[in-house]
Amino acid sequence: MTPDHDDPDLADAVAAATGDRVAFGRLAARHHDAVMRVARLLTPSAQAAEDVTQETFLAALQHIASFRADGSLRAWLLQIARHSALRLARRRVGQPPPEAQLDVDEHEDLASLGVAAGWGQPPPDPERDLDLQRRRDALRDALLTLGENDRLVIQLRDVEGLTYEEVARILEVPLTTVKPRLHRARLRLMASLRQRFDDGT
Amino acid sequence: MAHEREVAGIRCTEVLALLADYIDGDLPDHRRRQIDEHLAGCSWCEDFGGAYGALVTGLRELGAPAPTPPLDPAPPKVE
Repeated sequence: MTPDHDDPDLADAVAAATGDRVAFGRLAARHHDAVMRVARLLTPSAQAAEDVTQETFLAALQHIASFRADGSLRAWLLQIARHSALRLARRRVGQPPPEAQLDVDEHEDLASLGVAAGWGQPPPDPERDLDLQRRRDALRDALLTLGENDRLVIQLRDVEGLTYEEVARILEVPLTTVKPRLHRARLRLMASLRQRFDDGT
Repeated sequence: MAHEREVAGIRCTEVLALLADYIDGDLPDHRRRQIDEHLAGCSWCEDFGGAYGALVTGLRELGAPAPTPPLDPAPPKVE
């Protein structure tokens, strides 16, 4: 890899691969929050998320020389995080799985999903949109009500900004299925948010 | 049913199906214009499209980096 001075991740990854711990510290600081956010979606507790995050960066440090820059460093780290969360889940015998609900049928009728999401209904009260922090909290809470695959596709694409190719690689699904999955997941998220407003939470 | 209504030569159900491509800017120009015209003439789809777009914007903001305190000053370069 030739260092690209316009890409701090690539430059730091190259340096870290030669043993530069300060460079690794920089890239870890840059991506810590993203790894933690995804770990939190894949684990049942804040402590487990911390464990996954630590394990992710330990593994990344060990294997930094194998980062091929054929995608973003963030995508590479999040792929490690997902595998780490899966390993942790397998070790956690007898505890409830991290999924909040079963993933729903991928062939569920789009119009039904749309209606549940508010398509064809009066728009929500604009007053509700004024408090930014409450809106962010409501989004985070609503994400946690989705099945794991729905949560992940939204987190990786919409929140973390990965490309469709990177999302496909992390989720281990065909590229052409990512956008349809994402669209349905967003509709379910809208339905969950609508339900919360209707419930007055 | 209202969602079978056709405006600007495209049905509401088709607009629903194409929303992700629409906000990605992934549609051929004629299709994008057709949806623009549909939204201008269909308040249900316009409202829902607005809500869908606002959701995606809100999600992107969740991932926006929070201001962090500066890291320690760079260590002296080792030649």
